[in-house]
Amino acid sequence: MKKIKTKPKKQTPVLVKILKEGNKNVFASALCMGAGQLMYRQWAKGLLFLLAQIGLVAFFVLYGAGAIAGFFTLGSVEANPWYGTEGDNSVMMLIMGIFAFIVLAVYLAIYWLNIKDAYKTQKRLESGRAIRPFKSELKGLLDSNFHMTALTLPILGVSVFCVIPIIFMMLIAFTNYGGNIIPPELVDWVGLSNFGRIVTLSQFAPTFFKILGWNFTWAIASTALNYFAGLGLALLYNKKCVKGKAFWRLFPILAYAVPGFITLLAFRFMFSYGGPINQMIVDGGGTAIGFLGIDAKWSSRIIGLFVNAWLTIPSSMLLATGILSNMNNDLYEAARIDGASPFKQFTKITLPFVVFATTPVLIGQFIANFNNFGIFYFLRGGLYMDGYFLASDTDLLINWLFNLSIDNNYYSIGATISIIIFIITSVISIAVYKSSASYKQEDTYK
Amino acid sequence: MKKTIIAVSLHMAILIAIIAVLGSASGTVEQEGQAQFTGELERNVVIRILENDTAKEQGYLQELLDAFNAEYAEYGIVAVDANMDQYSDLENDGPYGYGPDVLYQANDRIMRYVAGRHIQPIPVEQLDCYSEISESAWEAYTTEVSGQEYIFGVPVNVQGPLLYYRKDLLPDNWEEDWDDDKNGVPDMVENWNDMYAFSLWRKSQGNETFGYMKSLFDPYFAVGYLYSYGAYSFGNNNTDPSDIGYSAGDSELGGWVIRQLASIMNEWCIDDTITVNAYNRLARGDYFATMTTPDVYTLFIDEMVAEGMTREEAVENLVVTSIPKLPASGDLSEGNPELIDSKMMGGVNGYAISSYTKAPNACLAFVNFATSYEMMKLRSEMLGVVPARNDTVLEVGGLALVINRSLEEGNIIVMPSIKENAQMWTPLQTFFTDVAQDAYRAENEVKYASLEAIKTALQNVDQQIYDAIFTLQE
Repeated sequence: MKKIKTKPKKQTPVLVKILKEGNKNVFASALCMGAGQLMYRQWAKGLLFLLAQIGLVAFFVLYGAGAIAGFFTLGSVEANPWYGTEGDNSVMMLIMGIFAFIVLAVYLAIYWLNIKDAYKTQKRLESGRAIRPFKSELKGLLDSNFHMTALTLPILGVSVFCVIPIIFMMLIAFTNYGGNIIPPELVDWVGLSNFGRIVTLSQFAPTFFKILGWNFTWAIASTALNYFAGLGLALLYNKKCVKGKAFWRLFPILAYAVPGFITLLAFRFMFSYGGPINQMIVDGGGTAIGFLGIDAKWSSRIIGLFVNAWLTIPSSMLLATGILSNMNNDLYEAARIDGASPFKQFTKITLPFVVFATTPVLIGQFIANFNNFGIFYFLRGGLYMDGYFLASDTDLLINWLFNLSIDNNYYSIGATISIIIFIITSVISIAVYKSSASYKQEDTYK
Repeated sequence: MKKTIIAVSLHMAILIAIIAVLGSASGTVEQEGQAQFTGELERNVVIRILENDTAKEQGYLQELLDAFNAEYAEYGIVAVDANMDQYSDLENDGPYGYGPDVLYQANDRIMRYVAGRHIQPIPVEQLDCYSEISESAWEAYTTEVSGQEYIFGVPVNVQGPLLYYRKDLLPDNWEEDWDDDKNGVPDMVENWNDMYAFSLWRKSQGNETFGYMKSLFDPYFAVGYLYSYGAYSFGNNNTDPSDIGYSAGDSELGGWVIRQLASIMNEWCIDDTITVNAYNRLARGDYFATMTTPDVYTLFIDEMVAEGMTREEAVENLVVTSIPKLPASGDLSEGNPELIDSKMMGGVNGYAISSYTKAPNACLAFVNFATSYEMMKLRSEMLGVVPARNDTVLEVGGLALVINRSLEEGNIIVMPSIKENAQMWTPLQTFFTDVAQDAYRAENEVKYASLEAIKTALQNVDQQIYDAIFTLQE
């Protein structure tokens, strides 16, 4: 039977509908929040909208307008603390400007809600139904509209505590904040010039590509090592023949429980010239080895890889243990009957299942390893190598970013490189995730 | 439709008008300020004092606060512990009202705050300690702003490296064989050439016994060898960051000295192994001598006591003296060399007053009180630091005299007080690590076989520091 293709009916946007069909009460609400509702004798709701308008307008009159203006100027009067002269603090102005824009967005959202509400009441009356009492609407907030009640506060919280810092950090990349320009000095907008400087500085390019290459190698190698070693441990502890599983599982968990930087400092000591490893080598008649020394590019890199594995394998193991507990044992039984070897069972049943379930985590681990600041900062910090511009041959991009920006207080350059790293990692994450089975066959194991 | 569009447009227009009109009308009005130090003490105020951790741990800060609060009780001025990290950054905290009112930090940190006007110029001539503190110590806190010289900190104590050695580990015949000038002081603690020879001899005895031992990567202690042969940190008396001078003069001889010193130790000198184990190893008699700051004297004594000596024996056997002289040629193996003074990096810790304090006059009174003869003496006794006041130095004697004499003679080079000095540490640390490592490289991998190679590496250090400072600066 031939399928009949039907063209979906084009829906008129609500805004257009409101503008086309709204009556005088909608007009009143568009002019002044709550006016339409009051005209419908919805006193409580009308007053709430009106109060919201008064409150928000008062915010802009008293503070918000200045904050938005300050966002664009970033201040005009430099403070002079020596004479108690209060000036403008550009950084605070930037933050408060972002906050004022968020309040403005809230204002527009309430304004839109107010018009939509007046229009809905109009339609309700036109269809012959009575106006819904305020109490019933309030009850709806705990029932059919509960999602709004539940999400309003978290969204406001996320806006203030997450969105503002992220936007602030990104906007810093477009200013000259840092170096000698730190409040009370006034900060200015500089457009894309920070990006331009990074691209055009001739010293940067060779080091950038050297570090980027090593950064990719590191991220891929460490993610693979940690993932498969974690899975291997989980499989081992899952074997029936292993006695005292809980006891053996305790060891990697203990390693996981110790704060990372303490573990790193302990490993640094272990591999130092005076550390126990060299002590054993010397006692055995050998010569001390500079495992993390200035000439030890590859041994430092490999030690970093294994120290990172020590820190990360436990979490991979726990994750894999949880996933393996959901495996259907019938699959293995069927495979055994069909004569599949243990390796075949692993590659055809276990691995696809675990990879399918953990692809997003795997991507997260890749990003975390790509931006792993601590490993080489604690193991082998404080060196600049020949052929590198203010970096060492074990530094990752995030370490180089630290040397270049935070260490030197160049916050705007730091923000710029952060955005570049963000673009690289997010492009990789999206590409890998979209091509993975987790995304393409989302319903396979449901 | 038209009506609703008009209403929406009107609403938006009013909102935009409010923001535009009030936004453009807002803004800070520039106002004429006035000097903060009026001489009139603020009453009923609390001032927050940032001190270092040792002063807190040893109880000195509490003694100071109690004494000050009792003295100024009639004014209602109360000084309290700021309860902040000793390295807290006024540049980041001050403008937001979080910083301390009075802060005690090293001169290089304090002077970083001048550019942003985070600390105030202090009318030091009003302080009782003014005439008692040497000019070299005041210099660490003096800088020019808008063509006029100001002093931004009050020196409290002077830091500089000293040589610590075990008198009981001297050879029995030292007075015959190791005191050529017959002045009663062993030659190995008077000049590096004899220390080099003595260290070689001790090392040859085996059993992990060494002469002089010190981690060489640490720029604070190693840069002095470069200074001794003509290097400097920044030009124009450490104020011009565009002129970096670690390769200036014959500084490659200093690099050569470090390479030779590395050869009398073992690989531990390349990283921080010796810094960590020096207290214990010196106490055990494995090391004859090391170099460090005066404030850790008691740690050595404690370790020696832990190793079985009585406290009296430990005090008798541990000798602290100034840094030995260097050979003008830079060759530690030379017999009868022409000797020159060793110059070392040092620092002057002191008090500064935050520009954000609400009670500058009370803060000034606190600084005056804390730098009085009695408090400086108490500080020196409790913390083992070298006071910056000359009258207290004379009273305390010993190490204090040695350090102060070195400062006066220009053998302690005070750490640069400009913020760019933050960029010198990593390039220098890399260089010193590389030179120390060189003594332990296979013959075909040696990098610094000639003075020219060391000179080139030092020029590279200068360039790296320059790049770190200026590449990203507009």
